[in-house]
Amino acid sequence: MAAITFDGVTKIFAGKPAVDSLSLHIDDGEFMVLVGPSGCGKTTALRMLAGLEEITTGRLLIGDQVVNNVLPKDRDVAMVFQNYALYPHMSVAQNMGFALKIRGESKDVIRSKVSDAAEILRLTDYLDRRPRALSGGQRQRVAMGRAIVRSPQAFLMDEPLSNLDAKLRVEMRLEIARIQRLLGVATLYVTHDQVEAMTMGDRVAVMRDGQLQQVARPQDLYDRPANDFVAGFIGSPPMNLLRAGVARDGDVTLSIAGQSVTLPERLASPYHLANGEVTFGIRPEDIVVGATGLRARVERCEALGAETLVHLSLNAKGASQHLVAKAGPRTTIVAGDDLAVTFALEHAHFFDVTSGATLRVGS
Amino acid sequence: MKTRRSVSPGRIALFVTMLAIAVAMLYPFWVMITDSLHTQSQFISGSGFSLGSWRQLSAALPVGRQVLNSTLICTVSIFVILAVGLPAGFAFAKLRFRASSLVFLGVVSAMMVPLQAIVMPEFVNITRIGLTSGYFGAVLVYAALGTPFSIFLFTTYFRGVPDELVEAGIVDGLGYVGALWRLVVPIAVPAIATVTVLQFIQIWDDLLVGLLFIQNTADRPITVGLAALASGRTTSIPQLMAGSFVSALPAMLVYLGFQRYLVKGLTMGIDR
Ligand SMILES: Nc1ncnc2c1ncn2[C@@H]1O[C@H](COP(=O)(O)OP(=O)(O)OP(=O)(O)O)[C@@H](O)[C@H]1O
Ligand SMILES: [Mg+2]
Repeated sequence: MAAITFDGVTKIFAGKPAVDSLSLHIDDGEFMVLVGPSGCGKTTALRMLAGLEEITTGRLLIGDQVVNNVLPKDRDVAMVFQNYALYPHMSVAQNMGFALKIRGESKDVIRSKVSDAAEILRLTDYLDRRPRALSGGQRQRVAMGRAIVRSPQAFLMDEPLSNLDAKLRVEMRLEIARIQRLLGVATLYVTHDQVEAMTMGDRVAVMRDGQLQQVARPQDLYDRPANDFVAGFIGSPPMNLLRAGVARDGDVTLSIAGQSVTLPERLASPYHLANGEVTFGIRPEDIVVGATGLRARVERCEALGAETLVHLSLNAKGASQHLVAKAGPRTTIVAGDDLAVTFALEHAHFFDVTSGATLRVGS
Repeated sequence: MKTRRSVSPGRIALFVTMLAIAVAMLYPFWVMITDSLHTQSQFISGSGFSLGSWRQLSAALPVGRQVLNSTLICTVSIFVILAVGLPAGFAFAKLRFRASSLVFLGVVSAMMVPLQAIVMPEFVNITRIGLTSGYFGAVLVYAALGTPFSIFLFTTYFRGVPDELVEAGIVDGLGYVGALWRLVVPIAVPAIATVTVLQFIQIWDDLLVGLLFIQNTADRPITVGLAALASGRTTSIPQLMAGSFVSALPAMLVYLGFQRYLVKGLTMGIDR
């Protein structure tokens, strides 16, 4: 078991960086989730760590050993592939014991390790089956089993749950987190599902276009996004990001779509707010629909069962901005209603209009 | 209770057609066997029964030795073809290296060159390096002729094997060689069977290479032996039939033995 360090790691494919000077440290035993939109370089980062892809520049360390030029077989990391990549001609037990067999472990050792892993994964009854004869969830567990019998330095997982149905995904999400904690092996887990990111990781690293945006604990990521990209990426539905004018005079007056909102001095002080324009961020659950406040028209309602998403347009003097709010499950709001909304401003966020970086003091 | 399938006119037509095809295919074998069970004079008169032709055959021709020669030539050639084709196919399908598609194109074009076009220069080459005594010259020529096709087939087949399978093996601690032999080859049995059967039939039935590249009479394969028999001054048809039957048998046996995999191999990729 060991810590993992990406130190300015870059991967260039055909002149274009897929991963751009990534610096990321994963503590021994830590569960690190890597999220980001499709094509942002998550898989590439993982494959470099596994040794399946060469590193263009930078250093990659497992423990305190630089592994840039270490062969995959000598890195001692285990990987769970998105499509599981089970060996079709081997039984479940053989699949799980294969890595140990290659390393010349004795039959008895292999058998006992495989049966221990099978126990943890509840696969004991399936050890003699071929992968073909297993369900998706069982195959997924075999793929996990192949990784855990090795007691490797690190687990690498590339969207291991994306081929499962929603219910099984929830189940396996808990299962994987449980096993990881049980074994205490440093884990880099790639996903583009932000629910997985929020629920599974000790910390979450958000990537965009090959560049690391922020690394933080899930709740910190949610409460204190470093920029508008992270703010918009984490959370479902995402944070509303509105263009707002700032007029500062002790209190701050924000003008959003031609309407004014007053931000008291006390709430403005954590931010660098100067006269001009900012990106104003407010999460759907921090919007209160009521009798007073900004005038808004309901464009569409989406009833999700436990809650209703209300799509609003703030409209005045030709400037229109779109907004999503959350309402209760059995709301009477319908499309076409004219409403008023107020913001829970203590949970508001402010970002620089051009760089997107948060304006929070001390960030 | 047995469920009886309905006997529709379509099924009957199908059955009759298949029967006709089977008869057309099996008739030559029938002719071979019945004709071989005559002497030359019985054959001409069209009646009688004798094992004389079989006895004559073994006297006129070292049949056993020649079948053994053919078997050896086939086995070694196919071994070389597989030993070259499997790693090459793996490399073309799974590894990234400079000019790989160009090299692959070269290999595939080699498939298009017919033996007849290069047999003379080839003969000169093999004679110069002194390989016309013994089997080895012929084996080399067969291997060279069969390898491009096997590389092509294996490359195509391996391209259908997910990259992740190989990568999983590599992360588990295999090298490329290990990944080829322990992960890819075991699931390539249909492709291997296809190459084996097709090459076996081709090499076993070939006359030209054996005739040219094997100068020692004792090392001749059965096809060359039969050709010598046929071109003799007094050709005995029953004797020739007996010889033909002996030479046709191994190819049939190999085909029947591998048939199970062969069907999968030729339709491979359809239901993956
Ligand atoms: N072998 C390759 N050759 C060239 N470009 C590549 C290669 N592999 C990946 N890329 C490019 O690198 C970028 C990052 O790809 P990567 O697979 O790491 O994305 P990802 O974050 O895993 O996306 P997804 O969520 O869709 O899996 C993409 O723009 C991709 O096109
Ligand atoms: Mg990916």
